[in-house]
Amino acid sequence: MTRDWKRFLPFLISPLLLLVVWWWATAAGWYSDDVLVSPAAVLATLQELVASGELALHLKTSFLRLLIGFGTGAVTGVLFGIWMAISPRVEAFVLPTFQGLRQVPTIALIPILILLLGVDESFKVIIVVKAAFLTVALAAYDATKGVSRNYFEVARIYHLPKTTLYRKLIIPAITPPVFTGLRIAFSRSWTILVAAELLAADSGIGQMMQLGREMFRLDIVMVGVVITGLVGFSIDKIFKWAEIRLIPWQPAVKA
Amino acid sequence: MQNSFYKWIPDWRGWVLPILVILAWDAMSRLDANHAYAFASLGQIWAGVVELSRSGELLVNVQASVQRALTGLLLGASAGFLIGSLVAVSRTANILITPVYHAIRQVPLLGLVPLFALWFGNGDTSKLIVVSLSAFYPVVLSTFEGMLQVDSKFREVGQVYRLSRWQIYRRITLPAALPQVFTGFSLALAFAWLSTIGSELLFTAGAGLGNLMMNAQEASRMDILIIVTFVIGVLGYLMSLLIKLASAHLFKWRQVG
Repeated sequence: MTRDWKRFLPFLISPLLLLVVWWWATAAGWYSDDVLVSPAAVLATLQELVASGELALHLKTSFLRLLIGFGTGAVTGVLFGIWMAISPRVEAFVLPTFQGLRQVPTIALIPILILLLGVDESFKVIIVVKAAFLTVALAAYDATKGVSRNYFEVARIYHLPKTTLYRKLIIPAITPPVFTGLRIAFSRSWTILVAAELLAADSGIGQMMQLGREMFRLDIVMVGVVITGLVGFSIDKIFKWAEIRLIPWQPAVKA
Repeated sequence: MQNSFYKWIPDWRGWVLPILVILAWDAMSRLDANHAYAFASLGQIWAGVVELSRSGELLVNVQASVQRALTGLLLGASAGFLIGSLVAVSRTANILITPVYHAIRQVPLLGLVPLFALWFGNGDTSKLIVVSLSAFYPVVLSTFEGMLQVDSKFREVGQVYRLSRWQIYRRITLPAALPQVFTGFSLALAFAWLSTIGSELLFTAGAGLGNLMMNAQEASRMDILIIVTFVIGVLGYLMSLLIKLASAHLFKWRQVG
């Protein structure tokens, strides 16, 4: 245990060094407050935003959008991806459109959605739904397509009922890759949501940063940068942790 | 004979959905004045194409965006390759650089936009930094991992032959890792294109397809938005195709993914 800790210690050198340089640069007054605020000032702003409940409110709004959008997109995406993979007819009709849509970055759809839906809630949720749905559907499609034909043949020979086929074969086989798809989709959803909130929103963590940008409040922007980074990091870690816990038949993923 | 001929005709069923969507869209635009405003008819879209190409607006902005994406890709990928190599070869560099790299990488790229806007302004400098960063991240990772995965036996052979560290890197590690470096490079291209459009939407100054879109959105020009979105998709596809062809050509000697 202690040895692990000791091995880990050197990796703290450079972040600490960076912090010291940052603190020193502001303390020496090399830069004005519009360019670089001190770590202490950022911390103070963070405390202020936490105490006033402002940060919690923004985060709550963002999380709500993220969860609704991602939940809808992910569930429909998994189902649709599997459907597309097992039905040749659905595949022939839909896959080309999917491949075409994939070429357009989600963020490029933001202006069209704003024009169609306005800047209220629905636009931000729908852009997240789109980001999650497409990523997850393609992951589920690829995963199901990747299940070896031999398994299906054996299942057919044994006249395996459809439900057993899904429960015992398809679902266990595709869970690991689909889970990876979900993790990637979640981090994409988070990125696109922050971007959408920067562009047009009345609340949310992205809007908080945008407001900070407009008021030249570097401290608020930096709090936002740190918070969005922490959120992205935690989400990724939670998914990886769940992956190990929920999929015991999958060799542990690398941290 | 017949079979090979039919192979070149794409399955007609794939066209049904897009055509239905287009027809439904066009029908929506003809419903009433309100819908005509939100949905652009096919005629309007075509008129928009003519207008944009006559004025040269499309060309100017395409040029600006593609140039930005490629410049950012070049800068970011070169820096990423250097840092990735350094981290793979030197333990000290690994200890010093890796934590900072992973910490910064956690921030959603476009989340850095407000910060860069305050530091570097609202125009081309900030856009280029965002695009370069987006290309930087995947190349660092793929270079590092590619070099780490090179069988240590190969390097041991180099040591037996008393090659210098540089020679081992140049003659053994680098060639063996190159295909994976290139995989990271093609990922970087996709990210660079995405972040080019994203940064142009968020930094309002200057030219670019994203800027053209923001102006069109403010003017409620759905026809222009649709055209530009289509162009963005096609350009992204062409660039990734180019990379794929280059990779197939460069790595003929080795099976890549």
